[in-house]
Amino acid sequence: MLKKIRMWFEVRIGLDDLIKTKVLDYRIPKNINIFYTLGFIAMIAYAVQAVTGILLFIYYIPHPDHAFRSVQDIMTKVPYGWLFRQMHVVGSNLMITVAILHMITVFLMGNYKRPRELTWFGGALSLLFTITFGFSGYLLPWTQLSYWATTVVTSIPTALPVIGEPIAHILKGGDHVTASTLSRFFALHVAILPPLFLTLMGIHLFLINRIGISATPFGIVDEEKRPLTEYKRKIHPDGYPYYPSFFQKQMYMMMGYFAVMFFIITFFPTMFFPDEANTPADPFRTPSQIRPAWYLLAPYQLMKLIPNKFFGITLMAILAAIFLLWPFLDTYREKNVLKRPVLRGVFMFLLITWVVLLFWGRT
Amino acid sequence: MKRRRFLQTFLAFLGSITLFSFVNSLVRFLAAIPTRPTEAKKIFIRKNEIPSGGVRTIIYNNIPAIIINRPDKGFIAFSRECTHLGCLVEYDHGKQRLICPCHAGSYDLEGAVISGPPPKPLTAIPLKIEGENLVIG
Amino acid sequence: MRYFFLSLMMIVVLPSIGVTGYRENFEQEFLTKTWSGEQVEENLCISCHSSDKMKPEFRSITDAWQASWHGQNNISCEHCHGGDPKDAKTSMSPQRGFVGTPRYQEVPDFCGKCHIGILSNFIESGHGKALRAARKAPNCVTCHGSHGIRKASIDIINEQLCSRCHSYERAKIMKQALFLTEKKIGQLETGLEELRREGIYPEADEKSLFSTQAEFRALFHTVDVDLVKDRTEEFTAKLDLIDRNIRATYRELRFRKNFSAFLMLAFTGMGIVIFLLSQSKED
Repeated sequence: MLKKIRMWFEVRIGLDDLIKTKVLDYRIPKNINIFYTLGFIAMIAYAVQAVTGILLFIYYIPHPDHAFRSVQDIMTKVPYGWLFRQMHVVGSNLMITVAILHMITVFLMGNYKRPRELTWFGGALSLLFTITFGFSGYLLPWTQLSYWATTVVTSIPTALPVIGEPIAHILKGGDHVTASTLSRFFALHVAILPPLFLTLMGIHLFLINRIGISATPFGIVDEEKRPLTEYKRKIHPDGYPYYPSFFQKQMYMMMGYFAVMFFIITFFPTMFFPDEANTPADPFRTPSQIRPAWYLLAPYQLMKLIPNKFFGITLMAILAAIFLLWPFLDTYREKNVLKRPVLRGVFMFLLITWVVLLFWGRT
Repeated sequence: MKRRRFLQTFLAFLGSITLFSFVNSLVRFLAAIPTRPTEAKKIFIRKNEIPSGGVRTIIYNNIPAIIINRPDKGFIAFSRECTHLGCLVEYDHGKQRLICPCHAGSYDLEGAVISGPPPKPLTAIPLKIEGENLVIG
Repeated sequence: MRYFFLSLMMIVVLPSIGVTGYRENFEQEFLTKTWSGEQVEENLCISCHSSDKMKPEFRSITDAWQASWHGQNNISCEHCHGGDPKDAKTSMSPQRGFVGTPRYQEVPDFCGKCHIGILSNFIESGHGKALRAARKAPNCVTCHGSHGIRKASIDIINEQLCSRCHSYERAKIMKQALFLTEKKIGQLETGLEELRREGIYPEADEKSLFSTQAEFRALFHTVDVDLVKDRTEEFTAKLDLIDRNIRATYRELRFRKNFSAFLMLAFTGMGIVIFLLSQSKED
């Protein structure tokens, strides 16, 4: 039976040839490590968010009078509503974590270097998009936590002279967080960001495929001719076939992702729900502890520390620019990070600073 | 060889039960919950049981409710749950108001808040007149 | 490339140094302004009555109020005493409804402006009648205090308080009649709070509990033991319903935990199996 179906496709699209070239003959370098799967996991994480998000979309009502109650109904009245909501909430935090891990491992393996600058740029932009997804989604349940964390974060642009107030005004759709804010954040979260993000991901994947998988610098000496004079797709004739070797790795990592997700849902279901997340938003009562979500805590804490707020925002913009354009700044030949103690040092310093700021911002 | 077969079968087994759980959850999720009005049993009361200016307290859909026969505007029904903290409001004949004994929240006979802490008007309950009967729900 | 970038950085950073004066102004706004954007409104009653110019016994009032249940729920001076808290000239003016300190016998009506249900029970009670007849009797302040009011609790009925006027015996009988219901109310309050922390917002049950306990405690003010005993069953029925709902919710939470644990194990299992498959040699 399966043979017949296969034959049907074969005579129409040349299925066999497609499988041969794209799957079986697609070779992955021998010294590949498990971190190479993280990009795929980030993509799966996005798929989970999209699917659970669409399901939640069916019952959620994006208006301040009904938002909180609709989410409560999803959690208590809709059969298995709690399951999809929990997956969406835990998933959003996991997706950001995986994206950050992916970024760190690509950085440490030097896989952003020529000719892969655009791939890095697209990826860094995706991370910023992911954080925007998180930030816009945070407001939607209309809880005390949502409302006040959004109030804080949308007030940050006011530090910029002249243009700061108008920017904050456009973000909020007014002077305060209101139904206007909820509508625009909802539109952003479900209608504007998804197609942009998918396009970006499409380009990112195309580039990876077109340029070819880079081999890690550990073990194999991988020379790229300098300077680049012509396009040449990177292939690994003596590497492993994509299927089954790499495919299996991707599969069990994906199972691991879900295992972690359900571990959190089982044993720590309230990890992302402090008390303020279970109380409806009250514009007249500020909770004692308002904080943005964890992934925004480090920048938030940095902002609080730098005495000159305008400089603070500028610094943030500069750091973001460095992050996005890193491959254009680091054109040093050596790909092996173990042979670059200065870069290692600076990177560790920045990473540790980020973590310290994060924990500091929690207090 | 045997080990491989076993692993593959076991994988297929685990995969199917996981898939089944998700599909089951999804279908139940999408099949939706019955909406409240069709769930609640309607209540029928004869019109002449409530004189003009009089009230009747009932329980509709597990909520304590009140039917008022307003002298000027006819019958109307509300939930008696005060929108402040949930105490049950009482009808004040003299003042033609509904008053909450807990913190003096005061509503008019349209259910709107006149004074006190309640944030929202009383929840109205649909009421129809069919011949000699009032149909609540 | 990098020089271009560095110069861009310089161009942006330099103006920020020139804008340092902006810092103090911004710090004030950003760090200390309340997030609602609204300034916390000054309550003149509290400003004067907590200032150094005030007599010490008056100054303690604002502290007591701040810590009280009224204070925590934003019921402030003008809600009971009238007057305008924003305008010094009319803050104590009868034209703005200022009534000052109520006389001993007027206290129940004073508090009964809001606590209507309790007042109607109190008036008909032995305590209320005695008060109206100007005999030795308690008013609201006797048991609840005036400004340092706490959330109602059964321990307000105690020997020290009640034996001021008569033997503690009758108060004790009343306390016993209330005891079990009060205990149940306490348990349910804790239960609902725990559910909240688990992420369930039990709005309907919270309202029902509030309404039931308010009515029950209002009933106490009749100080009629027989009446309380007669109606205890009615209240217990309502409380039992809430209890059943809470238990059902806990059962549902346990099901959820088991279900997601099952999914976790299934995925872990699949991950391990695929890993093992990847290690085993193909034929």
